[in-house]
Amino acid sequence: MAYSDKVIDHYNNPRNVGALSKEDPNVGTGLVGAPECGDVMKLQIRVNEESGLIEDAKFKTFGCGSAIASSSLATEWVKGKTLAQALEIKNTDIVKELSLPPVKIHCSVLAEDAIKAAITDWKKKHDQKD
Amino acid sequence: MGFGKAAQIAREGLAGESQEMFRLREKLRNTLERELDEIYINGDLEKRLPGNLNMSFAYVEGESLLMGINDVAVSSGSACTSASLEPSYVLKALGVGEDLAHTSIRFGIGRFNTEDEVDYVAARVIDVVRRLRELSPLYEMAKEGIDLKSVSWATNT
Repeated sequence: MAYSDKVIDHYNNPRNVGALSKEDPNVGTGLVGAPECGDVMKLQIRVNEESGLIEDAKFKTFGCGSAIASSSLATEWVKGKTLAQALEIKNTDIVKELSLPPVKIHCSVLAEDAIKAAITDWKKKHDQKD
Repeated sequence: MGFGKAAQIAREGLAGESQEMFRLREKLRNTLERELDEIYINGDLEKRLPGNLNMSFAYVEGESLLMGINDVAVSSGSACTSASLEPSYVLKALGVGEDLAHTSIRFGIGRFNTEDEVDYVAARVIDVVRRLRELSPLYEMAKEGIDLKSVSWATNT
């Protein structure tokens, strides 16, 4: 398996690793994948109440280098975006940016799912609050 | 002629070399087991080739571990690196669960490997496993006391 330079860079220096408090009402958490499938991603966003922008994002990923890179990249891309803008991030954008080979496309799909799951969780929290 | 010579070398050296490979393998195994928790030997320890070690490193996906020790020639029990994403059918046949099968590495020690090399590999593996566990949501959940088997994973088939 030949990895692109960008995948190797994200693997060696993953961006935004860590966790945000699930108790924080402004934090949305997405957990996608399954251990049996060899990939699990947890992606979290914190949305600024006033601006509506994603002000912070964190991830942790169990998976191959391409899965780590896809989720690391996803946290970089969602930061500073509105939820609507973040929802526009497509897995194909991630494939292109990281030059993922066909057998690794599922990693980009999972990263897109993780963004969507985090946003869904945030929205669910806010529906309950209102 | 060549085969005869090979047979002669094997006859003269086999017992001693097997013993040495066994010693190095046990050193590797003991070092890893001393430094890392939740690692599991796949297969039988007695009925095993002396230089072979197949281990699962819970919460660390095998291919990502390979990537971190890319100057060492080992193989991942999971066939993630090939066109198939299925974990090793041999491990599954041995009764290793699919979750742990995705975290396995197969080490092979040969007659030309040295003790320094074994020490080097052990140190690298320990370092990378620790780093990847800090990156692993499964490790985080396990440390929080969450039973991973009870989680209803969104199965993406």
